Amino acid sequence: MRELLRKRILFFGGKGGVGKTTCASAFALAASREGKRVLLVSTDPAHSTSDIFQKPFDRDEREVYPGLMGIELDANLEARRYVDRAKAEIARMFSHAVAKEAERQIELASAMPGVEEVALFDRMSDLIIDRFDAYDLLIFDTAPTGHTLRLLRMPELVSSWIGALSKRRRALLSLNQDIDKVRQSPEAVDPDDDPILQTLDRRREKLELVSARLMQHNFTGFVLVVIPERLAIEETARAAEILRESNVNVCGVVVNRVLPDDLDRPSTSLGPGPSTLLGADGFYQSRRKQEQIYLDEIKRRFSAYPLTWIPQLETDVYGLENLERVCAGLMR
Amino acid sequence: MRWDELKHNVGDFLHGYFVSEYERKLREQFVDLNDLFMLQCFMELVGLPNPAAIYLLDVYPYFLEEFHTWHRRMGMDRSPIGSMPCC
Repeated sequence: MRELLRKRILFFGGKGGVGKTTCASAFALAASREGKRVLLVSTDPAHSTSDIFQKPFDRDEREVYPGLMGIELDANLEARRYVDRAKAEIARMFSHAVAKEAERQIELASAMPGVEEVALFDRMSDLIIDRFDAYDLLIFDTAPTGHTLRLLRMPELVSSWIGALSKRRRALLSLNQDIDKVRQSPEAVDPDDDPILQTLDRRREKLELVSARLMQHNFTGFVLVVIPERLAIEETARAAEILRESNVNVCGVVVNRVLPDDLDRPSTSLGPGPSTLLGADGFYQSRRKQEQIYLDEIKRRFSAYPLTWIPQLETDVYGLENLERVCAGLMR
Repeated sequence: MRWDELKHNVGDFLHGYFVSEYERKLREQFVDLNDLFMLQCFMELVGLPNPAAIYLLDVYPYFLEEFHTWHRRMGMDRSPIGSMPCC
């Protein structure tokens, strides 16, 4: 994964519970140790970066480790902030009566499904555009697969939608100008002065800029995290396919929680359960045998991508000490 | 009425007729286009998701007036969103 240190924007994604946050945090830590200025952004609604670093994260950037900044985004909060900003803007531009009424409309619109997603994406766009130069590397720890894929497709979807709107608006206004010509009384707004068109175009430019950055293969990449289990493999394969189709560069696959083979026989403190039936050794061996099948399958199905193996640790990853071990695994 | 006066008047009449006919056509087209534009901005009204809904928040106030004419023409007496200030 060393070569990924050269990237500027990295996304870590995968099925829920495979260790995306762990891998993203470990990579961020590794990169900051290499002297890079790193921003670790958690977009997963179930934030756990703060648990891993055992430091509070916030919606604004704060240092979580020397040289490493972290931020946890909350979709709900972002939607609120977005709506508040829109309201303030309206209050500035319009009369009180209009603003008051429009406010109700906005309240309603902000309760629409999908709004939080868009607001979250808007904040991510701000980071990608405005903070791009302040950092060497932006790392996004994303929400489980489906959610993220939609997020990555959003700029394309929304910008083409807005594009269609502004095209229509432009056609409308020029038609209005034609009517003026016929009547020989100029009343119509010049398309270049139309506030609606201006707002729409500004939006679209921003979306297109983000979209362009996300599709830039030489500095943006998507790292898929997978564990050797049937469901995770299937979902990851689908994700890789969709990402490829959407022209996002999948630049690595991390296979997390691989059972180590240099293991002494597990301690007898496994407690009752399968171990009492098979014997602790038998249980472990049978798990490993099954895992080997999945590992072979992963090698076969993800042969197009650089693979990195992370062994299962004897404790769960919590706190910096364990994170360093994952870190070492990633950089090996 | 003298002949050239008559000619002049008929000419004016025809000019006015065709120009206003042309204007009417343009206006018709304008109204149709505007309806489509408004529909795209307020897709929620017909139960379709609007991918850009939140991006349109900033432009809603500009729409207030147009929105009123639009919902009237669409056969809705009262503002269907119940929160646009028109009625």
